[in-house]
Amino acid sequence: MNRAIVVDRLVKNFEITEKEPGLTGAFKSFFSPKKKEVEALKGVSFAIQPGELVGFIGPNGAGKTTTLKTLSGLLYPTSGFVEVLEYDPWEKKPEFLKQISLVMGQKNQLWWDLPAIETFELNRAIYEIPSRVYEENLKELVELLEVEKLLTTPVRKLSLGQRMRMELTAALLHKPKVLFLDEPTIGLDLVAQQKMRDFIYEYNRKYEATILLTSHNMDDLVDLARRVIVINEGRILFDGALEELVNKYAKEKIIKATLSNENGIADIQKIGKVKKLIFPQVILSVPREATAIAASELLQNFPVDDLTIEEIPIEDVIRKAFKSGRTNLR
Amino acid sequence: MRKYWSVFKISFEQEFAYRLNFILWRVRNVFQILLTYFLWSTVFSNPQTQIFGYDRAKILTYVFGIMIVRALVLSARAMDVSSDVARGDLSNYLLKPMSYFKYWFTRDISSKALNLIFAAVEFIALFVILRPPFFFQGSVVTLFVFLASIILAVLIYFFLLFLISSIPFWAPEIGWGSHFLVTVVIIEALSGSLFPINILPVGLQSIVMATPFPYLIYFPVEVYLGNIGGNALIGGLMVAAAWTGVLWLSLNFIWQKGLKVYQAIGR
Repeated sequence: MNRAIVVDRLVKNFEITEKEPGLTGAFKSFFSPKKKEVEALKGVSFAIQPGELVGFIGPNGAGKTTTLKTLSGLLYPTSGFVEVLEYDPWEKKPEFLKQISLVMGQKNQLWWDLPAIETFELNRAIYEIPSRVYEENLKELVELLEVEKLLTTPVRKLSLGQRMRMELTAALLHKPKVLFLDEPTIGLDLVAQQKMRDFIYEYNRKYEATILLTSHNMDDLVDLARRVIVINEGRILFDGALEELVNKYAKEKIIKATLSNENGIADIQKIGKVKKLIFPQVILSVPREATAIAASELLQNFPVDDLTIEEIPIEDVIRKAFKSGRTNLR
Repeated sequence: MRKYWSVFKISFEQEFAYRLNFILWRVRNVFQILLTYFLWSTVFSNPQTQIFGYDRAKILTYVFGIMIVRALVLSARAMDVSSDVARGDLSNYLLKPMSYFKYWFTRDISSKALNLIFAAVEFIALFVILRPPFFFQGSVVTLFVFLASIILAVLIYFFLLFLISSIPFWAPEIGWGSHFLVTVVIIEALSGSLFPINILPVGLQSIVMATPFPYLIYFPVEVYLGNIGGNALIGGLMVAAAWTGVLWLSLNFIWQKGLKVYQAIGR
C-alpha cells in the first residue's frame, strides 16, 4: 500500500431548510419549507502517503471538517471517490473502523457522569483490544498526556483541557493507523496546546501513523505539518510543503532594524516599503529577491545597531492565499 | 458478544448516576397503578359484578399485570436516539466497530433489568398492602406463550422507538414532539395500559387489534390471564410476529436512507 488516503473529485452537497426570523417565519417554513442546496465540497482531490502528517487550513465553512467526516465514513459523498487504507469508509467495516479515529474538539464520547476509565474499559471491549495491549497502551497514553491521577474522577468534574486529553486517550487506545484531528488545540491554554502538539508529533513519529489535522492555530501547523492543504469554499487552493506556500504567497520579506540616531531617516523609504517607523525601530517590507541588497544598503547608509530578516507571519501568508484564491475564481 | 456485556454494565452504572430521576419515574408508575387500581376496585365493589368478562379478581390482576409488563416492555432508553441524531452525537457510535442497534438494544435490556427489580419490589409491597384477589396462572404452556408475547412486545416497542427516532434525520427540530405523540398519547391509550382493549366497541376493537400497539401491553396480559385461547391466541401471536418483521424491515430501510442524509452536525 503506497497511499493511505485517496480522494478524487469529491463532491458533497447538503440540503438545508431556510427559515425566516420570528414566529411567522417559523410558521411559513413549517407549511412550505424552503430547501436550499449548499455545496460544501466542489471536487476535492488529494492523496496522502502512509506516515504523513498533513495540515488542513481554511476559514470556517471551507469544507475541512466535511472532508474529515467523509473520510471517516460519517458522511455519504454526493459524488467522487474516497478510499482510506484501501477501504471505502462509507461501508464502515469493523476492520476499517478499528484502524482509524476521528477526534473532534467539541464532540465527546466520554460518559459524562462516570469516570473516564469506564469509557476506556468500554472501548477496550468494543475495539476488542487484548488485555495486555490495552494495559500497555493505556499506561503509555496517560503518562504522555499526564492524566494518571484523573482516571477515576467523574468526567463532568474535569477541566476542558483535562477532558480533551481524556478524549484523545479514548480515541487512541486502539492505536489507529490513521488519525483525523479536528481542531485538537481549540480552547486549550498555551501550555496545554504545546503538550498536545508534542504528543501528536510523537504519535506520528513513533507509530508511523498517518495524521490529517485541521486547525486555526498557526503554531500547530508550523510545528507539526510539513505538508499543508489549503482549502476555501470547497476547493483546494494549494497542496504542498509549508515553505512552498510561503514562497508562493509571501512575495516579500520583513527587515527589522534598530537605529542609533535619526540622521537621514527620511531617506529610508528608498530602500523598501516602510511598515512602521518609531525611532529607534524601523520595519521595512522588501521584495523577496532583493532582500540581501536591501539589507546591505541599509547597513552601509544608515546608523544600524541591529538588524534581522524575517518571513511574513504565516497568518498573513494564508490570508493572502485566500484573497488570491477568491480573485482567481472570479 | 463481550462488547455488549460491557455496554450492559456501563449502562447500569449510568442509570444509577441519575438516581433521583429514576426514583421519580418509579413513583410515577406506582401512582398510575394506584389510580387504575382504585378506579376498577370501585367499579367492581360488588363481588358479583362481571363486566366484559372480567370479575374483580381478573380486572385487578390485569392492573397488577400491567405493572410488571410495563416494567418489561415500556422501560427503554432508545428514545435518546432521536437526540443523538438531531445533535450529531450519533457520530461517536458510527465511528466504532459496533452495531448501533445492538448497542441500544443492550441499553434497553439493562434498563429493563433495573426496572424489573424495582417493579418486583413495588409489586410485593402493593400486594401486601392492598391484598387484592390475584389470579395466578397455573398452566406452564400459557406461561410459555406469555413469555413469547413479551419478547415480541419488547421488540415491537424497540423498533417503534427507533423508527420515530429516525425522523430527526430529515427534521431535526421535531424529535421531542413526535415522541410525545407516540409514547405518551398513542401508546398509553392503545396499548391497553389504561383500560383493557376489549371494553371498546367491537368494530373499534378490531381496528385497534390490527395495529402493533395492543401487542405491547394488552395482549401479553390477556395471555397471562388465560382470556385468549385457541385460534385467537395463535392469530394474535401471528399479528404480533408480523408487525415485528414489518417494523424491523422498515427500520433497516429508513435507517439506511437516514444515514445517507445524516449531516453529522455539531462541528
